Amino acid sequence: MWNLIPVLEQYLKMRQLVNYFRTSIWTLISFVLVISLILIPLGSFLSYSFFTVDGTDIIHEFSLFNYQEFLTGEIYIKTFIRTILLALTVMFICILLGYPVAYFLARYAGKYKYSILLMLIIPLFMSYIIKIYMMRSILGFSGLINKVLKMLGVIEKPLEFFLWNQNAVIITLVVILLPLIIIPTFTSLEKIPKNIIEASFDLGCKPFQAFRYVIFPIGLPGLIVGSIFVFILALGDFVTPQLVGGTSGFTYGKIIYSNFGMAFNWPFGAALASILLIVSVIIILFTNRLTEKSKT
Amino acid sequence: MAILTGLIVAALYTPIFLTIFYSFYKTRKGKVDWTSFSYEPYTKLIFEKQILESLMNSIYVGVVTVICSVVIGFYFANYYHTSKSKMKEFLQFIIFLPFLLPPIITGLSLLIFFREINLPRSLNTVVIGHTIFVLAIVFKIILNKLETLKPSLMESAYDLGASKFQAFWYVLLPNIKLSLIIAGLLAFTISLDETLITLFLIGNDTTWPIKLWAKMRVGFSKQVNASVTLILILTSFLVLLIASIISRSEKKITY
Repeated sequence: MWNLIPVLEQYLKMRQLVNYFRTSIWTLISFVLVISLILIPLGSFLSYSFFTVDGTDIIHEFSLFNYQEFLTGEIYIKTFIRTILLALTVMFICILLGYPVAYFLARYAGKYKYSILLMLIIPLFMSYIIKIYMMRSILGFSGLINKVLKMLGVIEKPLEFFLWNQNAVIITLVVILLPLIIIPTFTSLEKIPKNIIEASFDLGCKPFQAFRYVIFPIGLPGLIVGSIFVFILALGDFVTPQLVGGTSGFTYGKIIYSNFGMAFNWPFGAALASILLIVSVIIILFTNRLTEKSKT
Repeated sequence: MAILTGLIVAALYTPIFLTIFYSFYKTRKGKVDWTSFSYEPYTKLIFEKQILESLMNSIYVGVVTVICSVVIGFYFANYYHTSKSKMKEFLQFIIFLPFLLPPIITGLSLLIFFREINLPRSLNTVVIGHTIFVLAIVFKIILNKLETLKPSLMESAYDLGASKFQAFWYVLLPNIKLSLIIAGLLAFTISLDETLITLFLIGNDTTWPIKLWAKMRVGFSKQVNASVTLILILTSFLVLLIASIISRSEKKITY
C-alpha cells in the first residue's frame, strides 16, 4: 500500500509526458507543413533565379546571368518602373475614391453603415474573371460608357481611349480593388469615439483642423493597410493587363508569367519574380513599422 | 459624399448586373433585343459538360481547402495562443506571407517546388496552393476568437477532470464553433474564385475561373453567363450568411 503513491506519481508523470508529446507532435507536424509548403517553395524559387536554362533543360548551377540580363536589358527595368507607376496610380485613385466613402460610412451613414459596407464587400468575392470580362464590354468601342456619353451628348463619336491601353487597365483594377481600401479605412475610422471629435471642437478646432489633426491620424493605419494591399495586388496582377490592356498591357507580372508559359525560361522568370518579392517584402515590413508607429 | 458612395456602389455592381442581364436577353449588333427573355440558357446548362465539370472541380477544391485550412489554422491559432515561445511571431509572419505577397509569387514558388519534388500538377496541388493562401485569414479569425475566451475556461475544465480531448471537444469546440464556421465559409468563397495562383498550379483539369479564362478569348456563350449568375447567387448567399453569423455572434455573450 505504501508504495502505491510513488507509482501513482510515476504514472501521472508518464501521462503528462505522453500528453506533452501528443500535443507537441501536432505542433511539430504543423511546423513541418508550414516550413515545407511556404518556406521551402519560396527558397527553391529564389534558388531557381540563380540557375540558367539550356533549351528545355534547367542547369542547376549557380550563376548571376539572369540578374545581369535584368539589369542590362533596358526593357525589363522600364517595364518594372512603368508597372510600379501603374500600381501607384491605381492606389491613388483608390484612395481618392475610397477614403471619402469610408469616411461617409463611418461618420454619417448612421444605422445603414453596415448594410452599405456589406454591399461594398460582396463584389470583392464575386468572380474576378467576370469583372474583367464585363469591364471589357463596358469600356469597349460600342460599350456602355460610350453609349451613355453619346446619349448625354457629351461626345459625338465613341471614344477609343477606354480599351486596349493603360487607362483600361487602371479603370479595371480600380473597380476590382476599391473595396480593399474602403474596408480597413472604415474599420479604423469607425473606432474613433464621438467625444474625441466633440472635444476637439470644444477646444476651438475648425472642422478642417479637426479632420487634419484628429480624425485623419487615427484613421491612417487602416488607410495604409488598404493602400498597400491595393498596391501589391496591382503590382503583381498579370491577368487584367493581358485581357484589357492590349499591346500596351505589357506589365511586369505578364513578363514573369510569359517566362513560365511560352518562353519557358523558368530561371529568368524566377529572377524577375525575386525582384518583385524583394520589393514587396520591403514594402510590407515598412508598412508594418509605419502602422505600429502611428498606433503609438 | 453620399452621392459618391452611391456612384461607387453602382460602378462595382454594373459588371455583375450586366452579366445577369446578358444571361436572360440576347443582343444583336450591340442593341438589346427586349423580346428575347428566356430561361433557356439555364436549362441548357445541364448539357454543358465542360462547364459543369469545372464547377464540380471548383467545389471539390473548395471543400478540401476548407477542411485542410480550418484544421491547420486551428492548430496554429491554438499554438500561437497557448505557446510562450518566441518562435510564434516568426511563425505568424510566415503564415501571412502567401496572403500578403502578390499571388503570382505564391503560385510560381509552389510550381517550382512541385517540379523539383516531381509532384505532377493536379487538383490536389491546387488545393495545397489555396490552403496556403487562405490559411492566414482562417488563422486570424480563429485566433481572434480564442483571445476573447478566458483562460479560466479551459483550466476549470481540466480541474474538473476532463482529459485533453474532452476539454477540447466539450468546452473549447462549442465556444469557437462559430468562428470555425465563419473561417470555413470565407475560405470556401475565396477558393471558389481564386484565379492567379490556380493558373500556375492547375494541370490538365480546369476549375471554374480557369474555364472562364479560357472561354474569354472566344467570348461568352449565354450558358456561361448563366453559370456565372448561379455562382454569383451562391457567393452572395455565402457572404450574407457569414455576415449574419458574425452579427449574431456579436450579440451573444461569451463567457
